[in-house]
Amino acid sequence: MMRTVSAAETAPTTHPWAVHAEGLRVRAGRHLAVDGLDLALGTGVHGLLGPNGAGKTTLMRALATVVKPADGRLTLLGQPVDGRADLRRVRRALGYLPQQFGFYPRFTVREFVEYLAWLKEMPKTAIPGAVQRAIDRVGLTAKADARMKTLSGGMLRRAGIAQAIVNDPEVLLLDEPTVGLDPEQRLDFRTLLRELGADSCVLVSTHLVEDVVVACTDVVMINGGRLVYQGTPDGLMAQGEPGDAGDSPAERGYSALLRRYRAEQGR
Amino acid sequence: MRRTAGGDRRAFDELYRRTSPWLAVRLRRRCADDDVVADVLQETYLAVWRAAGSFAGTAATGSAVGWLWTIAANRLVDAFRRRARQAKVPPVPLAATVAPAAEDEVMAGRVGQELEQALLVLPAELRQVLRAMVLDGFSVRETSLLLGVPEGTVKSRARRARIALREALS
Amino acid sequence: MTTHPSLSVLARYADGGPGLDEAAVWSVEVHLETCADCRARLAGSTPDSTHALLGRVAAELDRGIAAGPSPSRVRRPWSAVHRRWFAWALLPWLTMTVALLGCALLLQRLAPSLPPLVLLLAPVAPLPGVAVAWSRRTDPAWELIAGTPAAGLTMLLRRTAAVLAVLVPVLALVGARTGASAALMLLPCLSCTAAAVALGGRIGVRNAAIGIAVVWASAVVVPTLVTTNLPVVLLPGSIPAWALATVALVAFAATRADDYRRLSSRR
Repeated sequence: MMRTVSAAETAPTTHPWAVHAEGLRVRAGRHLAVDGLDLALGTGVHGLLGPNGAGKTTLMRALATVVKPADGRLTLLGQPVDGRADLRRVRRALGYLPQQFGFYPRFTVREFVEYLAWLKEMPKTAIPGAVQRAIDRVGLTAKADARMKTLSGGMLRRAGIAQAIVNDPEVLLLDEPTVGLDPEQRLDFRTLLRELGADSCVLVSTHLVEDVVVACTDVVMINGGRLVYQGTPDGLMAQGEPGDAGDSPAERGYSALLRRYRAEQGR
Repeated sequence: MRRTAGGDRRAFDELYRRTSPWLAVRLRRRCADDDVVADVLQETYLAVWRAAGSFAGTAATGSAVGWLWTIAANRLVDAFRRRARQAKVPPVPLAATVAPAAEDEVMAGRVGQELEQALLVLPAELRQVLRAMVLDGFSVRETSLLLGVPEGTVKSRARRARIALREALS
Repeated sequence: MTTHPSLSVLARYADGGPGLDEAAVWSVEVHLETCADCRARLAGSTPDSTHALLGRVAAELDRGIAAGPSPSRVRRPWSAVHRRWFAWALLPWLTMTVALLGCALLLQRLAPSLPPLVLLLAPVAPLPGVAVAWSRRTDPAWELIAGTPAAGLTMLLRRTAAVLAVLVPVLALVGARTGASAALMLLPCLSCTAAAVALGGRIGVRNAAIGIAVVWASAVVVPTLVTTNLPVVLLPGSIPAWALATVALVAFAATRADDYRRLSSRR
């Protein structure tokens, strides 16, 4: 069937960045977890690194429009999302996997992904196909009709990733997606990441420096709620000096950046 | 579809027999690499088999098979994504401009005489973008992946095509 | 698209070659999507290479089907309800409420001198259900849902409607048994629900529900039990006032849609 192509769809893209934050401040409880962060992310896979308590999870939540920023400007896909904005349009092009990812035990994987697809306001006729496609892409085809309470930790994470990609989002936010995945599954996941990064903006927050270096086109490092470094993985590796802690160039680069940042802050 | 959902293999084979020639021909006109087409066909029908219950509920009604094309189109995009990463993008055949043969003039039920004249006047790359977006239902992002051109180019070609068509039709 | 392409046109289309101009190809493709007969005729005209391709695919399909899971079942709409987490989370609260109402009814029958317990209990009956409907603690997938376009006031209203759908008939039945007027039973109930929804945006639905229950208990229930006099708010004469209050609170709740756009970092 011929479909109509709206003028809005072919209008030239006015936003240079998919995610653009200026002076972002976000609270987590009383504590100001993100404190004056400037960030610009385009298409590709961006790795988010930082020590515990650096504000990674809070930043992800703010980007996923789950938490409202306390201050600063945040623009997603050209739309401002701070203050009183209509979030529905932006959220339809968003995919988010939180770190503590809750689920309904009695649902099967398929029903869970279908429910989230329906919540993301996808057109009803497109949902079954999109759900099967998402399940196939994460490799859960064999378990598509199993109840979620019967899944292992790694499979649950993959189900979470499936719900994040079911609506083919333009901005994909994954908070610690490789927790509980065995090495082979992590390899499959890296392949999936590269595929996804071909035409959307993916932000992956992780503790594992190696994951970032191999799969990401861009590395973002934050500490104390501020941006410490943004550049290519090669750039990160170049930061390290032989005396720094770490078993690989990337880890040495990471420690070097942390050390220098802390010295600057006088901590 | 309901019978397929119940695990009826013969019903599924019937569906395959009736729809796969059409799907194969249409896919081959979008991708010149037969291996890719075979993969896409296989994935499409496997997806139909595995999710049969959900499709029976919402998508498949009557003899319209647009839903089947949507699944195949999505798998085609995924195949291109996988190969784009490895820098082995399968070629997409560009339709040459051929003057309509005499007997085709007689064939009724065409898209509309003026529209078809307008289409034939458009340059090939504009027609390609139009076919991908209007006929096949791809989004701008997917079209840019399939044709291997940046999104901005896809959008500008779509705009030019719309303007050219409007001029030709008025 | 009432007339069908001729066999020679179909053969040239099936060929895949340039024998057919673009406009004709378009017409044929649009037509084939809806016409099973022409698809069958196309099947007869496909070239050998396509046949070979289809044979290969069929063999692969056989293998894939044998190896993979069996098709998902057709789901009946009513079976979806019993799997929804919400039904399961709600069940204990609803049973408790219904049981309390039953006890109140019984007490009223046995001891007619006591003030009408049913009337006192009715307004706060739906509040436990409403508290559960939008609570971070009871909904495990809370963070996932909060980032979707469908999250917001409409979702809360949908769930509240489910609660009311169960409770309103029960209340009406109990009211009929005790001879209390239906309006007096239902209007305060609706008012309290609307108030909980309206306030919930600011202070959290659970807190709002608890707050309203406490206010009702201290201001109305306790004095009534102590003085065994029907309070002013529950006299039949106050029905118009309750009607007005219900309408006003519902309108106010509708304007609070903005508050439900996202989680605040406190709740």
